[in-house]
Amino acid sequence: MVNVTADSNKSQEKTINMSPWAIARRKFLRNKLAMISSFFLLTVIIISFLAPFITTADISKVNIMQMTLEPSGDHWLGTDKSGRDVFTRLLYGGRVSLLVGMACTALVVLFGTIVGSIAGFYGGIVDSALMRFTDFVLNFPFLVFVIVLSAIFRGYVDGLTILIVVISLLSWGGVARIVRSKILAEKENEYILASVSIGCKPSKVIIKHLLPNVLSTIIVQSTILFAGLIVAESGLSYLGFGVPQTIPSWGNMLSASQESDVLANKPWIWMPPAIILTITILSINFIGEGLKDAFNPKSNR
Amino acid sequence: MNMTETRETAAQPPETEKEILLDIQNLKTYYPIKGGFLKRTIGNVKAVDDINIQIKKGETMGLVGESGCGKSTTGRTILRLLTPTEGKILFDGKDITKIKGNALRKARQDFQMVFQDPYASLNPTQSVGDIISEPIRNYRRVSKKELKPEILELLGRVGLPAEAYDKYAHEFSGGQRQRIGIARALALKPKLIVADEPVSALDVSVQSQVLNLLKELQDEFDLTYLFIAHDLSVVKHMSDRIGVMYLGNMVEVADNKSLYAEPLHPYTQALISAIPEADPKKRKERIVLQGDVPSPANPPSGCPFHTRCPMAKAECAEIKPALKEVKPGHHVACILY
Repeated sequence: MVNVTADSNKSQEKTINMSPWAIARRKFLRNKLAMISSFFLLTVIIISFLAPFITTADISKVNIMQMTLEPSGDHWLGTDKSGRDVFTRLLYGGRVSLLVGMACTALVVLFGTIVGSIAGFYGGIVDSALMRFTDFVLNFPFLVFVIVLSAIFRGYVDGLTILIVVISLLSWGGVARIVRSKILAEKENEYILASVSIGCKPSKVIIKHLLPNVLSTIIVQSTILFAGLIVAESGLSYLGFGVPQTIPSWGNMLSASQESDVLANKPWIWMPPAIILTITILSINFIGEGLKDAFNPKSNR
Repeated sequence: MNMTETRETAAQPPETEKEILLDIQNLKTYYPIKGGFLKRTIGNVKAVDDINIQIKKGETMGLVGESGCGKSTTGRTILRLLTPTEGKILFDGKDITKIKGNALRKARQDFQMVFQDPYASLNPTQSVGDIISEPIRNYRRVSKKELKPEILELLGRVGLPAEAYDKYAHEFSGGQRQRIGIARALALKPKLIVADEPVSALDVSVQSQVLNLLKELQDEFDLTYLFIAHDLSVVKHMSDRIGVMYLGNMVEVADNKSLYAEPLHPYTQALISAIPEADPKKRKERIVLQGDVPSPANPPSGCPFHTRCPMAKAECAEIKPALKEVKPGHHVACILY
């Protein structure tokens, strides 16, 4: 007991002279689950992006001599039906999946935050117009839209770019709504009125006073979004409408399991991407939870 | 209207050699009530309904009234944090009623505000140094480093240690936070400061410190105050002249002494009778008002106070009395005078 109080006293002392950000960082560093998850995610990211330095096997070359080999010393995770090394494809696939997830998250958060903060800050007619537009976008049937658009643009533009743009254009609505509601609540504080009275321009009020105070929500939201968007990419690729088949991604690798023979008898072909995908998504969600706790002034974990 | 006459007389009392810094004419601020399917305006909350105030340079004008009587709205409208529905605001001879955008932003340098809630009025993500230097940096291109000596001096002036510079608002007590807020308002060396209940959220022991600080700063920086409060003893301590508001209307304006010695409006009399007396032997008659403040969305006809006035007559429900000077420098809006 004594120890506990002493410890909490110490932590109380330490929070003096710390910005709210420093306090959140400390809380996050103490969250074991979140730290393990961050470590895992970071490892996955680093290994994926260093793939060319880790394996030398060709990811696209079909090798009839080595079709559907079981895991062995030569091929750690075996080979798929075209004779390509599963481990190599897993690394390169991770690169694509994570890249799509990150790019989409960045675009979605950027666009959602801009729309949401302008709507929330100005209110009135601006708010109504922007939020009706958001509703309109949110009402698009996601899958149908992605399939149609990628069918239209296929061949004209790089398939990966189209996928990123299309997913982003359809997914920012949720972020816009959340940011708007947060801004609406935050702008009632007197310090916003004060920032107007000391001569801040509206853009400065939004960027310097409102956004830093809703940033924690945006960050938490974007981690959860990141996980969701990786899943979206995998789902689309599994169905064959996502990343072009020539580029390996976790979703593309999973689509091999559409064949019942592979699903039932050759687990080494689809299990690795499935497992790594699941653990990655889980760890991203744990990180999100950890951040949420860290930013919540009432939690003391 | 009677108003114009009032204004002329108000500008003439003997000691008015001083220039008028702020001249508010027939100011009205209404909040529209939206309703129905198409969000049309179906009514107005008349938060400020036709008031006139003149404040001279270097003077402290107090504004008292119950919660919801429009004091804060008046203050915020004067600083153009709200847009008036009607009327005119002349600040230092310039009409600031309708200016917008950059012109308004430039004009804000000369009038600042001290807010009521010391907890909500400081951005939690900014350090104290940032908070106080921001107003200056909004108008001048200077680096934080260059400004630091100036900011430290300001901190010292409002009674905060130099170490406060790098700290965050959440590390301070209410009174200290209010000092930060005062330093922020002072940073631009404004001519007018509207203090919107600056001490009502503070402990009584801290209140007087902050009030005395405001008084000292007034002499030092040549400030003019519009001091808003609901606590009559606080206003008495601070103000040269006092305006009493009721339901968006100014019911009585007088200098400090004569308002307390001889309140004329029945509402002011009731307010003053409610001030607690330090001497328990001194008995005085407490006027207890009946009923609640009527809704400003649907104010009573005639005199706004007639529904609760102990001296109301039949015609009070019909005639809305204008503010008129009944004694030199003492204006009251009541048909009794």
